[in-house]
Amino acid sequence: MAVLEDGRASEKRSGDDGDDLPIFNAENLQSNMKSIYYSRSFLSIIGGVVAGIWGFTGLMGFVFYFLIMATASLGFVAKAKFSTHKYFDCRNRILMDGFLGGLMSFVLFWTFAYDIVHIF
Amino acid sequence: MAEDLVLDTAIRDWVLVPLSVVMVLIGVLRYFVAKLMRSFQPPDRKALKEGQVVLRARNLKAGANFIPAKSFRVRRFYFTNEENGLLHVPKDQAQNAQAQMFSDPNMAMDMMKKNLSMIIPQTLTFAWVNFFFSGFVAAKIPFPLTQRFRSMLQNGIDLSTVDVSYVSSRSWYFLNLFGLRGLFSLILGEENAQDDTQRMMQMGGFGFDPTKSLSAEKDSLDIVQHEWVLPKMEQRAEEVLRKLVK
Repeated sequence: MAVLEDGRASEKRSGDDGDDLPIFNAENLQSNMKSIYYSRSFLSIIGGVVAGIWGFTGLMGFVFYFLIMATASLGFVAKAKFSTHKYFDCRNRILMDGFLGGLMSFVLFWTFAYDIVHIF
Repeated sequence: MAEDLVLDTAIRDWVLVPLSVVMVLIGVLRYFVAKLMRSFQPPDRKALKEGQVVLRARNLKAGANFIPAKSFRVRRFYFTNEENGLLHVPKDQAQNAQAQMFSDPNMAMDMMKKNLSMIIPQTLTFAWVNFFFSGFVAAKIPFPLTQRFRSMLQNGIDLSTVDVSYVSSRSWYFLNLFGLRGLFSLILGEENAQDDTQRMMQMGGFGFDPTKSLSAEKDSLDIVQHEWVLPKMEQRAEEVLRKLVK
């Protein structure tokens, strides 16, 4: 899923100053970001349905949403084998990107499931 | 009496589900119609040339640190030179290009088509919702909102003692409008992740492409600081080769 972005252009394994600037393959970076976006969208939809069925109301539901997003971030970091600098340029991207993007979908499906199960 | 209304199952069957299904289908339809209506224009030669020049300048900026300082400066001079540099556009030409962009018929047609394809289905659906589904409670949102939202969410319901959580179908329509964006991006592929609201926000920033982007590239190229990132490269290459040879 997470395409390894071909970071170092030339792996100089010399002894002393083997520090080369990481260069990022823009295409792979973008594809990684897209995977993250899709996963978060999907998870917010599923999370919404789950929250509705379980009958969360009010603040509990939003807490549940943030819990799901945090779990997703953990999952992404684990999938990148904890070396996010190889796959993304900045650590914040994998954690924070798209956090609030799925909120509307979550609320929609939460409302839908809650109504179908509990009100009608 | 503001607790726990029991709503008719018929509302669920004939309001919530059909409205959502209709909005999903309209979104899919709009995507395919847009795809079919995308007219192919032969690319404008001047615009293409300028686009390629901008690309070259960007590549230079990206790879600036990997070529020696002198080569970088030579290349940068070629682009940003005041007399015949590629990125330098004299002032009077700038004005003409802007006027031309506006009166360009193809571009105007495209803009109009995109606008129409967005606005018409949205307006029609909204009118349909208002006509058929007004005047009753449609759904209950699971989280409470303040009294100020009452007028927005409960527009067909005229009882003021009903809990604000019970909303009319108009608010269900808006909820769907925003919430189905994520679903569309999943089922239609990434190209159609944008929908009306995002595109409307982008309408404000109408870029005059050729001249502004050229001068922008020129400025950004001017401020690049060259930093030689491959120091002592020959020694390192020599070490690597020696190791291989051994």
